[in-house]
Parts: sequence; C-alpha cells; structure tokens
Amino acid sequence: MSVNIMTEHNGIDQSSTVDVFRSEVREWLAANAPRESLLPWTSREGFDQHRAWEQTLFEGGYAAVDWPIEYGGRGADLRLTMAFAEEYYRVRAPERVNMGGLYLLGPVLMQYGTEEQRARWIPDLLACNTIWCQGFSEPGSGSDLASLSTRAVRDGDHFVVNGQKTWTSMGGFADWIFALVRTDPEAAKHRKHSGITFLCIDLRTPGVEVRPLAMVDGTKGFAEVFFTDVRVPVENVVGGVDQGWKVAMSTLGFERGAVFGDHAKFSNDVAALAGLVRRRGLEQDTLALDELGRVLVETEVYRANVYRLAALAEAGGNLDQTASINKLFWTEMQHDIFATGLRLMAEEGGVVGGDREVLPGVDPVTAHAWKDWHHRYWYARAAMIFGGTSEIQRNIISERVLGLPMEPRPT
Amino acid sequence: MTETLDLDRRQLDEVTKVLLDRHCGLEYLRERMDAGEAHQPALWNRLAETGLVSALVADEAGGAGLTPRHLPGVLHATGYHGVPEPFLETAVLGVTILGAYAEDPWVADQLRALAEGSLLVAVRLAVLDPHVAFAAQSDLLLDVADDGTVTAYPTAEVAVTSLEAVDPLRPVARVALPGSGRVLGVDPALARRVRTLAVAGSACQLAGAARRLLDLTVEYVSVRHQFGRPIGSFQAVKHKIADVAVGVDMAEAAAMGALDAVDEPDAAARAAAAKAYAGDAAARANVEALQLHGGIGFTWEYHLHFWLKRVMALSVAYGTTAAHRRGLAADLLNRTGRREPGHE
Repeated sequence: MSVNIMTEHNGIDQSSTVDVFRSEVREWLAANAPRESLLPWTSREGFDQHRAWEQTLFEGGYAAVDWPIEYGGRGADLRLTMAFAEEYYRVRAPERVNMGGLYLLGPVLMQYGTEEQRARWIPDLLACNTIWCQGFSEPGSGSDLASLSTRAVRDGDHFVVNGQKTWTSMGGFADWIFALVRTDPEAAKHRKHSGITFLCIDLRTPGVEVRPLAMVDGTKGFAEVFFTDVRVPVENVVGGVDQGWKVAMSTLGFERGAVFGDHAKFSNDVAALAGLVRRRGLEQDTLALDELGRVLVETEVYRANVYRLAALAEAGGNLDQTASINKLFWTEMQHDIFATGLRLMAEEGGVVGGDREVLPGVDPVTAHAWKDWHHRYWYARAAMIFGGTSEIQRNIISERVLGLPMEPRPT
Repeated sequence: MTETLDLDRRQLDEVTKVLLDRHCGLEYLRERMDAGEAHQPALWNRLAETGLVSALVADEAGGAGLTPRHLPGVLHATGYHGVPEPFLETAVLGVTILGAYAEDPWVADQLRALAEGSLLVAVRLAVLDPHVAFAAQSDLLLDVADDGTVTAYPTAEVAVTSLEAVDPLRPVARVALPGSGRVLGVDPALARRVRTLAVAGSACQLAGAARRLLDLTVEYVSVRHQFGRPIGSFQAVKHKIADVAVGVDMAEAAAMGALDAVDEPDAAARAAAAKAYAGDAAARANVEALQLHGGIGFTWEYHLHFWLKRVMALSVAYGTTAAHRRGLAADLLNRTGRREPGHE
C-alpha cells in the first residue's frame, strides 16, 4: 500500500503513441524551457536558477515522468521516458540538479521506505523544495565503503551521530543527506557489511557542519559534512536498523544502471565536437575525422545499448548484471568525448577561459561555453570515480558477471 | 508482432546452436583448416535442410519468408562457431538481391537452387570492399555497383584470383568481371539495403567471434594455475578481461540492434557505427585473448587462432573500422554544417 501523494498530474495514456507524447513534451518545452543557458549550478546563484527550473518542470508534470502516478510521476514506460529525454536534450534544456533525490533516494523510499516516510519526503523531493545529497564516502572509506566508521548510537528514540562524510556532491546546496552510519560495531567484527544503517539527516540539525570543497577547477560542486553529537530521530531510518547495506546497494544499482534517455545528451556533446572540428578547419583532417568518428560511434553504440536494455526490462528481464558494464562504458565514453575536445583544441586546449581575442580559432565559441567544456571534462573524470570506481566495476564484471575466480580476500 | 518476432528469433537461435554445436565444432574446424578448404557441401546442406539458407526466401519460392530482422542471433552464431561458409553472402545478401528480381524466370531458378542448398552466391560490393568473400567457392557472383546496377555472373565465367587470406576459413579473392554479365536492374535503394545488410550482418558475426574469444579466455584463465591459484583470480588479468567483456557486450547491442533497425531511415549509419565499434572491440578481444593465453595461444595445435584470424578477417570485410568511423564523422560534419551558417 502506498500513499496517494500527488493527483494533479494524470498518467499518460500508455496506448497513446510515442509521437503524441513527444509532441506534447515538445510543445511544453518550447513554451517553458529557458531561452538562455543558466549559470553553472556550482555557484549559489546558478544553483537557485536550476532549482527554479526543476520547480517549473514539476509544475508541468515533467519532474519524473517515469515515476509511478501514485508518487506524482506520469507512469511513463521506458519508450515514453526515452522520448521525453530525447526531446529534453534536443532543446538543450538545463542540466538536472535533483538527480540524487529523484533517481537515488526516491526509488529507495518506494522500495524500502515506510508509508509515513514516503508521505513526508517524496512530495518535497519531487517538487525540488528539498535537495538531497548522498553521504556514503568517508575520508577512510572510499572503494571499501563497508569499512565506514561514522557512528550512530541509540539514545532513546534518537540516534546520536558522530563522524565525517566527504565528496558529497551538491553538499553545499543540500537540505538533507541520506547517510550510511554504523549502528552495530560488534557485528562488523564478523562481517563488515553488517551493522550499517541507512539514515536520513536534516542538515539544519545542531552539530552538522557542511564545508564546501573547491574542486580542481575552483567550483564548489561538492562538500565534506561533519557530524558532532547530531541527534536524529529513529523514524528517519530507512529499511531497518542494521539493514542499511542492502539499501545502499540498491541506490548504487540505480546510480550505475542505465539512465534511460541520457544518450541524447551525449549526442549533443558530439555535435558540439563536430562544431569544433569545423571551426578549426579540420573537416578534411584524417586524424580529426578519426577522433570525431570514434566518439560518434561510441554514442551510437550507447544509444543502441539503452534501447536493448529498455527492451529487456520491458520483457521482464533483470538488469542487475548490466549495471557495471553500463557504468564503465558510459563514463569512459564521456571522458573520451571531453578529452577529445581538448585535444582538438590543440594549443588553445591550454586556455580555459578568456574572450575571442585569446581564442581566435574558436570565434563563435563563447568563453563561457569553452569554460563549461573544461568543467565537464573534470566532471567526466569524477564520474570514473563516483558510484564505484572503474576498477571496482571491473572487479564486479569479472567476478559476478563472468564468474572469474575470486581474488583471495584478506581475512 | 514484436512478440512473434522474438519467439521466432529464439527458435532460430536454438536451431542454429544445436546444429553448429553438433556439426561445426572444434574438430570440424580443425579438419577444414588442415584440408585448406573452408566450404564443404555436407555442412552447407545441413544448413539448407534446417531451413536456415532459405530463411529469407519468399514462401512461394520455397523459403520461410522471414526478414533479416530474424537473423541477428543466427549471424552472431556463425561468428561464434567460426562457420567456414558464405552464410551472410548467400543466405542474406544473395537472397535479398535475387529476391528483388524473382519475377525474372532465370533469377527464380537461381533462387530455387539457392534455397535447396545447391547454389553458393558471392557478392561484390566494390564500394565497401576490394575483395570478394567465397568468390572461388561460389557458383554465382552478384555485383552490386555504387550506382545501384546489379549484375549476375556465373562464377565460371569470371576471372577469380584467390588470395592468401588471413583467415583460411573465410577465403577471399580478387575478381575481374567480364563485360558480358546479366544485368538484373538498376536500383540504388536495393544497393543501399544490400550494403547495410553486409555491414550490419558482418558486425553481428564479428561480435559473435569476439564473444568466442572472450569465452575461451575466461575458460582458460579459470583453469590455468600459477603461483598456486588460477591466473583469473589476479586483478591484472581480470581487469583486462572485464574491458574485453564491456566491448563485446556493447558490440552485440550495436550490431544486433543495427540489423534489427535495417528498415529504419538511419539504418546505414547504425550499421556503420556497429561495424566500427565491433572492429575495435574485437581487436581488443584479439590482443587480450592471445596475451592471456600465453604460449599455448601461439600454437597451431590450439584452437584460439581460429577466432583470432576470424576477427582480423571480419574487421576489414565490408568496410574497415577506420573507413566506417571516418565516413560517419564526415556525414555528421556535412549534416551539422548545413544547419549552422550565420549562427551558433
């Protein structure tokens, strides 16, 4: 049983063709999508612009078209979800800043949350009134996530939390964090995945300190979060005390698995690369054609895979085995796209910003766009680390997908 | 419709697997390799008796009336099993071309013979490939010119120069066409479709052959012990194999998806992308498979080289990896360039 949270937006008539839904979306985007690109979300002002856009999407009924209707989504199947994303990226609508809430926490609450928790958190999450961030990594626990040491000690109807989370994406702008905390250190002596709890914490609680971290390009996209005797109500536990590992694994599954429709975003990036090749007069350059062709092929292959996975999912197949292959492929593809852009810019690749005088070969490229390309290059590097590093994905693929012999584990 | 297609595909895949497991195993390939002769009527007849050769032939002409969309799994299996026969050339490309001119009684006769398994067809697509696969083994050679002119030649009348192929089980030749062929028609749309089928079909075979290299490697590193443990338990080994697995899996998605999309407007581009990607993925599989097998992989006695050679042969068949990649890039530049002048 689930609560009926939102009723304003009706579901989509699944019998309606993709084309009908597509034109509905196209029309709405033409009327509502920002004409000018927003400021980068890594600044306060830029973030507020992005949040306002998320709220517009919500009001239009497009915040999460694939969510079930009972939770305020449109109940779109995968074909419709992909059509929405293709239209969204076709008009180059803004980057989504509510993905952590919509695609990580939301599905977790639907799967593991209590009725009361769903009623309490989902509407604000969907409307982007609340920004959620993920508190998994710690200074001493990265790839070995289960070694985490942030402690939560029961005190009546509260947990008292002490410890530190880090690399928290959008931490500086978030209102709430969903964190993994250790509630039973004894259990960890036998099996370190035991005794971990998935706990939602209001970042305004006394004892919480969020320190934004400047990233390599100077923007403040992530943060570290310190907890000193932070009192969190027991009812904020999702999925049961000491049962947090399986909940965490399901969010990581969402993080690694296919985001249906994001192939359209990468196609835009490759089109931008084509523009770069032309502006530099490299249309006949074999090397440039090879570079452009390679990333174009990768995005086409990625699209084919997304469609294959959608067909598999619609036929009731299990996508668990595909998540790590998907994550490894798209993060490497994304890196290839942005690194190729830097290479094609050759000598100007060493210049991040500046105006047309400093970047004569790229006249129509505004300094802003080129700077954004650099920013996204660094993001592409980060993507090969977050959500489980490429090396961890290779371990999973070789051991769990291919069945290769296990690495002897330290005892 | 889709469900029927899925069901038909599953049945075809199963039939193919059973047949090839039994009649095209390692010993059979070894025998063909040692004989220095790829094609053998016995295996081809089995493929014909099972109905695979005539799968795309129209019902009224004695076939099953299926479409190329039914065959991604079958073509993948011909790569996986290293089938040394012109299945793509005869049963897919040949049938597609002859089927388009079946009202011509001579063509109808050829098609009937093909469906019975008594006619092998080789196809020359000079715009894609300077060589013709299985030309010397074929009875009929079909030339599909760039402008869409389709000409048939009894192979006996063609000057065929067999070349020393990297994969002896996929023979190739250079052909000099006589002036006197039988012009079946001029049809640029048919020519485009045949090219797309050649590219997407060979991409499926390539993905299948690369999958076999992956499987052979996983099997080998799981049993080969050094330092007291299977070498497949070392991360240095695992991570190479994981990269191969990603490539193979994505190549399958692209290649089989491209054949499935053969009726879509962007079919040619999808096929080209699939072929280019499968070429790179198969090259990676080739390198890592031999590296991880070590000495045994270099021996003639061990069977790894059947697939090392097959992926090398298919990577350059019907357009090289680089040619498809550059062609797609040039198309994108043309497409986006036309839209752009005057504004960004």
